[in-house]
Amino acid sequence: MRGALHAEWTKLRTVPSTGWLVLAVAAGTVAVGAFSVFGLGTAAGADQTRLSLSGAYLGQVAVVALAALAVTTEYDTGMIRGTLAAAPRRGRVLAGKAFAVTAVTLCAGALGVAGSYLCARLAFSPGPALMWRPHAGTVLYLGLIGLLTLGLALIIRHTGGTITVVLSLLFTVPATAALITDPVWRERILRVAPMTAGLAIQATTDLDALPIAPWAGLGVLAGYAGGALVVGTMLFLRRDA
Amino acid sequence: MREFGQVLRGEWTKFRSVRSTVWCVLAAVVLTVLLSSLAASATSTDANTAPRFVDEFSFVHQPLTGDGTVTARVASLAGGHEWAKAGLMIKDGAAQGSPYAAVMVTARHGVRLQSTFDTDVAGNAGTAPRWLRLTRTGSSVTGFESTDGRTWHEVGRRDVDRLPRVAEVGLFVASPLDVQTRKTGAGSNETAMIPTRSTAVFDQIAGDQLDPDAWQRTDVAPTVGPRLGEPGDADGTGQRFTVTGSGDVAGYGIESWIPPGDDDMVRNSLGGVQVGLMAVIALGVLFATSEYKTGTIRATLTASPRRGRVLAAKAVVLGGVVFLAGLVASAAAFVIAQPAMRANGYTPPAYPHLSLVDGPVLRAVVGTALFLALLAVFSLGIGAIRRRTVGALILVVVLVVVPQIVGPVVSLNAELWLGRLTPVAGLAIQQTRERFDSAIAPWAGLGVLSAYAVGAMVFAIVRLRGRDA
Repeated sequence: MRGALHAEWTKLRTVPSTGWLVLAVAAGTVAVGAFSVFGLGTAAGADQTRLSLSGAYLGQVAVVALAALAVTTEYDTGMIRGTLAAAPRRGRVLAGKAFAVTAVTLCAGALGVAGSYLCARLAFSPGPALMWRPHAGTVLYLGLIGLLTLGLALIIRHTGGTITVVLSLLFTVPATAALITDPVWRERILRVAPMTAGLAIQATTDLDALPIAPWAGLGVLAGYAGGALVVGTMLFLRRDA
Repeated sequence: MREFGQVLRGEWTKFRSVRSTVWCVLAAVVLTVLLSSLAASATSTDANTAPRFVDEFSFVHQPLTGDGTVTARVASLAGGHEWAKAGLMIKDGAAQGSPYAAVMVTARHGVRLQSTFDTDVAGNAGTAPRWLRLTRTGSSVTGFESTDGRTWHEVGRRDVDRLPRVAEVGLFVASPLDVQTRKTGAGSNETAMIPTRSTAVFDQIAGDQLDPDAWQRTDVAPTVGPRLGEPGDADGTGQRFTVTGSGDVAGYGIESWIPPGDDDMVRNSLGGVQVGLMAVIALGVLFATSEYKTGTIRATLTASPRRGRVLAAKAVVLGGVVFLAGLVASAAAFVIAQPAMRANGYTPPAYPHLSLVDGPVLRAVVGTALFLALLAVFSLGIGAIRRRTVGALILVVVLVVVPQIVGPVVSLNAELWLGRLTPVAGLAIQQTRERFDSAIAPWAGLGVLSAYAVGAMVFAIVRLRGRDA
């Protein structure tokens, strides 16, 4: 197992795109967060913590790319055959990959959240406190997005396809919900869409008005990620590479 | 020219023989239609259960038996609203909702003859001072206007059924609510109704049956429920009155009426395109980057060394196919959505039935196809510049999709500016109602997207010429 993990870590570390994408996760998160808190006059009663963490919307795009590439480049380049010849126990390969990707994603996410928190402290006085649930929850959210992407990448095995499917699932479903005027249906969609449900973890005010409770929302996202990973693993174990 | 035809044919062959192309086009059409109809069946309105007219104003009146004529000059009209109204009215008593006909000057919309909450005839432009005359003959009421009190111009003649033999006739002033809608979050908004007041001076009041001592003033207002406007006032005697009023006399068919629902039915019917566009972005990006990934770009450029032409041919093939697929998708989405929306309360009078051949609907449906085609060409350009699927895909998605999600979270201002400056501006082509959250005019929005597409293509051609493949 240590060997598989080491191999996956080496593969991830030695590709230049990984470094850029880690930077993009952190920078994207901080940039949108800073834009939100410093930029356009925010409403008086706004949830300052949530606003400062809105960079996760952008940061997650880089997470999706990172996790998708970790799987699909192996198929694009044909390296997967070498990998599986060297480590025939596919479950271990997969566990190593998931572990490496999650570790990198969590580190990048933690950097982004820390930067966003600093921006919030500078923008507001006294500024929102550092809280376990919204801040660590956002890092967890990014980690789960990485796992969801990993699972779907194992199913689709194509870079463009994976990224398109994941981003559609994340972004366009809530965009359609904005067109729906029936509040019951809107809530239903916001409750089951992985992004809006998962990001409920960031809320600190008006918790009753949320479509779904914070931890339950993160649970919904975890359900998606788990489902995708289970199907992806089954296919990975059975299909020819 | 023949050479370009050959390049075009080559690109078409490459385009149609790739499996992912077929999938992307199919996904774009299916997702657009499916999600549009889903959204339509989950959208409802209760606008038609709201009151269908408003009848609130300040009325200085006296009874008129049988036929007769009233004349007066509106010497001035001052007040807060473009639809402030001052003029002569004949009405079945002073109770709210009773039949009426009135000739009036408005603050900014000229002279009007309006009756029974549903008929609106425009006269000449201009405002006070203006002479007005109202003549009743049986059930027919005629309105006249004059700029000098000597030459009269007929504004119109309406039949008012159920007008009793003894009706109230007199001077009226109304000034509608100022409606300000504000966004309070993604998809939710708050409407503030601020009453306005207007004051008009009437003089040279004359009529064959008028009794200078019989004038009385009534605030016509709802008998139950809250008033929308404020109480009015009147001062004067006999031939000269200063009347202050608030509220409006209007309903469906009268231009100053503010209908209770402001949903954009057309835009809502085409909402699925926001999901379908993802497939179009992927299609555009992959059409460029897959040639680099597989290396066919070298064969392509050997076969047709004029590189600009290759990209132009790609854009024509891609744009054409996406336009046709988009047209099928948006027309189908619109047609399928209509019965569902009707079942959910989108019916006349608040929401007139729409048909594909109505001007604004046609613009929105064809415009949606154009939007998708331009978005595909923009994606192609970015793909050709970046040469790598991931980078190009992410760049386009961050420009197109993320603003729509982040904007509403930050503030209305952020949403409006992102809606003007990013390629999403092109979606404005779907708007058929001017709303408080409209970021940009329809064609201007499509223009912004075109600028992005042309810019990306020009840069891509320059880069393709200047670099090894």
